[in-house]
Amino acid sequence: MTTDIATIHVEPTPDELAEGRRLRRRKRLTNLAIDAFLIVVSLLMLLPLVFLVANAFKTPAEMLAWPPTIIPRDPTLENFSAVLGETPLLRWIGNSLAFAILSTLAIVATSAIAGYIFGKFRFGTLNVIFALFLATAIVPFEVYMIPLYFQAKSLGILNSVWGLLLGYLVMSFGIFLIRQNVIHSIPDELLEAARIDGAGEFWIFLHIVLPLLRGALGALAVLAFFQAWTAFAWPMIVATTRTSYTIEVGLALFQTGFTVDLGRLSAASATVLIPSILLFVILRRNFVQGVASTGLKE
Amino acid sequence: MASVEIQNVRKAYGDFETIKGVSVDVPDGAFVVLVGPSGCGKSTLLRMIAGLEEITDGTIRIGGRVINDVEPKHRDIAMVFQNYALYPHMTIAENMGFSLRLAKKPKEEIASRVTDAARILGLTDYLQRYPKQLSGGQRQRVAMGRAIVRNPKVFLFDEPLSNLDAKLRVQMRAELKDIHARIRTTTVYVTHDQIEAMTMADRIVVMRDGVVEQVGAPLDLYDKPVNTFVASFIGSPSMNFLAARVAEDRKSVATENGIRLPLGIEAPAAPGTAVTYGIRPEHLAIASVGEGVPMTVTNIEPTGSETFVQGTVDGQKISAQLRERLFIRTGEVLNLALAPTNSHVFDAATGMRLG
Repeated sequence: MTTDIATIHVEPTPDELAEGRRLRRRKRLTNLAIDAFLIVVSLLMLLPLVFLVANAFKTPAEMLAWPPTIIPRDPTLENFSAVLGETPLLRWIGNSLAFAILSTLAIVATSAIAGYIFGKFRFGTLNVIFALFLATAIVPFEVYMIPLYFQAKSLGILNSVWGLLLGYLVMSFGIFLIRQNVIHSIPDELLEAARIDGAGEFWIFLHIVLPLLRGALGALAVLAFFQAWTAFAWPMIVATTRTSYTIEVGLALFQTGFTVDLGRLSAASATVLIPSILLFVILRRNFVQGVASTGLKE
Repeated sequence: MASVEIQNVRKAYGDFETIKGVSVDVPDGAFVVLVGPSGCGKSTLLRMIAGLEEITDGTIRIGGRVINDVEPKHRDIAMVFQNYALYPHMTIAENMGFSLRLAKKPKEEIASRVTDAARILGLTDYLQRYPKQLSGGQRQRVAMGRAIVRNPKVFLFDEPLSNLDAKLRVQMRAELKDIHARIRTTTVYVTHDQIEAMTMADRIVVMRDGVVEQVGAPLDLYDKPVNTFVASFIGSPSMNFLAARVAEDRKSVATENGIRLPLGIEAPAAPGTAVTYGIRPEHLAIASVGEGVPMTVTNIEPTGSETFVQGTVDGQKISAQLRERLFIRTGEVLNLALAPTNSHVFDAATGMRLG
């Protein structure tokens, strides 16, 4: 009974070794298959985008040629110069940027404050107000678009960024998202400890709550930005002069009832992609974290 | 430093009263432990001292000043929470200096006070880390450090050791006691663990259902519990209770089938009165053959240093904590000697102590 357990060593049989090799090979093959599948799917998803950018550099003749080319045979900047020269494209991008950024700031601010209060302050009436907030989410924008238009008109803010913002200052989903995050990730004791330590309510919000909500607010910012950036119906009715269009409305002008100017539309669309991609790249980490931590998908 | 006087304090949520008129005096520099089963109102009472819960009725004074309507930050108290409540986005040094920064103290003073506290708590090497990089015990120390740097009039602890494992809890218990011995700040400490209460307190307040059952020094509560609740709550394993009636000579009580249980004093009740006889497991010993009270053994638990034996006397459950190593099987009968001077008699109906 004095055998040292650590010294016992049993050589694996050839059969066992072969079995191990087989299992390892199968695992490697499975992984390879998954990789191949994902690559194919992502290529398919990228393809329309690649064609869009490619088309922007093609001549009208090449665009209609079959089979379509991915790299233009005879690249031209004609489309870009036409778009930039004949339409106030940069102005439209500027309008869209101003609209999206201001809307994002407003939504992040209102959601942070309202979400924190709904999440941490318990009065009976607050629940009723929160239910009302959520209820607004099920009313389609198109329903109150027209009354809102008259509101904007009587305020004299048609054809301006302020008019665009009118319907994009508060996002009920944003309030909900932040409220869930507050309940989930900020324990009451943290706020109580700060209160005992001598912090005021506003100070607590600014220095304790906001830093802890960074991930969720980042995700919300991306959502809010794209919501405004891709808005169409509201800008379409509020902005009626050529210089006050947003880029979405402007792009739509390349298509009339009878013709579609594909080259210019592609060039304009390619230009417009740049800011969206940039923003996503910058905020990508926040976005993934924030959405993953709430378990919500958009 | 200051005393804390709680007078006739009540707390009600609507019609539901959770604290039903509690009065407790915490002398300057004392370490008072509020203990009781969960839901007894001990945490609520602590939160009322801190100002995190409103006081429905009664008064609380800190250092002679009524603080009922004073904001938490103006009460000059520090509180340590069960889940530590460290700010996750601040370093340990920032966490500890947080209250001083809010009080707009000069930077050098904050740094020196944080360093001092860190030295007392053995946290000097961790000042630049974040809470999530620390272990549970270290986080608990940081929470304490945050309280110490403020040099408050009163420390409030809300089950600070409950999240730690058993070994660390014993160690932190000793550390806390040591820190209190050094800085002697008035302390109110809430726990559901009677061992923590016994080992740390100058004075224990036992609570149940929103009322104070008994206040006293740990050993006073242990030796002279006022009722069966305190008797069973304080001490582990808990006291044995046997239903009995006072015997004719009043020097003992007898169970239903006439088994005599000795008393240290003359029973302060008429012969035949129904009582609850109490005796702690460690006050039972093995009696000589033919003497003592016969126990039918149902379970034996040897721990090495002691042997815990559970069984029945006249059909009623009883457990004994014995020094000896026993070679006995379940189902056998063991004769127990009951130490008369360590016995307790309670009224069978009210559970209150007799004599």
